[in-house]
Amino acid sequence: MKPDERSFRIALVADRFVNPPPGGLDALAVLAEAGWGAMQLPADDYPADIAARILAEVTEQAEEFIRHGYDLVLVGDRDGLAETLGAAGLGVPDRIVPADAGELLRFLTARPAPDVASWSWLSPEGGNRA
Amino acid sequence: MERREGRAAPESRESRGVAFVAHCLLNQNSKVGDGAHCAGIYSPVVDVLRDRGWRIEQMPCPELSFTGLNRFWAVREQLDTAAYRRHCGRLAAAVADMIAVRAGRGEDVVLIGVEGSPSMGVRITSSDPARGGLPEWPDGTAELTSGEGIFVEELRRELDRRGIAAGRGGETHALPDHDPLTQRAGLETLLDER
Repeated sequence: MKPDERSFRIALVADRFVNPPPGGLDALAVLAEAGWGAMQLPADDYPADIAARILAEVTEQAEEFIRHGYDLVLVGDRDGLAETLGAAGLGVPDRIVPADAGELLRFLTARPAPDVASWSWLSPEGGNRA
Repeated sequence: MERREGRAAPESRESRGVAFVAHCLLNQNSKVGDGAHCAGIYSPVVDVLRDRGWRIEQMPCPELSFTGLNRFWAVREQLDTAAYRRHCGRLAAAVADMIAVRAGRGEDVVLIGVEGSPSMGVRITSSDPARGGLPEWPDGTAELTSGEGIFVEELRRELDRRGIAAGRGGETHALPDHDPLTQRAGLETLLDER
């Protein structure tokens, strides 16, 4: 059994970096290399009411991570995100609009360790549940 | 750390369709304690989607926003309350709205869940009607069983109600017979059959 391998680090990622246009930056590859998780922001081509509902769900989940001391950053941007976070009493995380993979990787690896680096109840031998 | 080759999208690639993936496949930090298989992104699934030219859409994690990061491991029966059903129904409606937009544009859609999960299982979920109370149970207790997780079930019902067809498959890391090559082949077949 492997121990829990979570990194306690998550990036809110604009859709254009999750589904990059031809030649664009594949942020998922960089995040995987750096050991970060991703929370995808809704694509710009969704109707405003649908995007607003998704942003609300993303915010609710981000709130849970923040209250447990996980590190959150923002890669790119999304109209309405700041307002939705603000309505939940959250600020916009530290942000980068990377020009290339190297810039994003440097940004991620320069982050300080999150407030929570482990949970005492995570068993060393792990369990790996679904 | 799982490393993927290449950080730039190919110069030309048409999207073959849209894969709506379980939240934890892009963010293992959302897993129940002791459940994270890697630091963040579960690359074996992402790699197949990239290789096959599928667009990625991340679904919300129903357990994270309902029972939180400190939740216990659970089987279907423990989560299957009226309130959790309503919560999953609300999330499923939001995801179905997104799927409807894609399907309305003629894009193929597949759902990729997490086999063995009480919420995100597609063909295999976790079940034990006797489980409850003090969270201890005998070693070897069988809990994996054929069936859908609660969120996947609600989403399927919502898509059926709207008359939207979507292929469905699951990541198998939590199953005792998990084999990376078999998982990859299964995902490739799911995508290629669309």
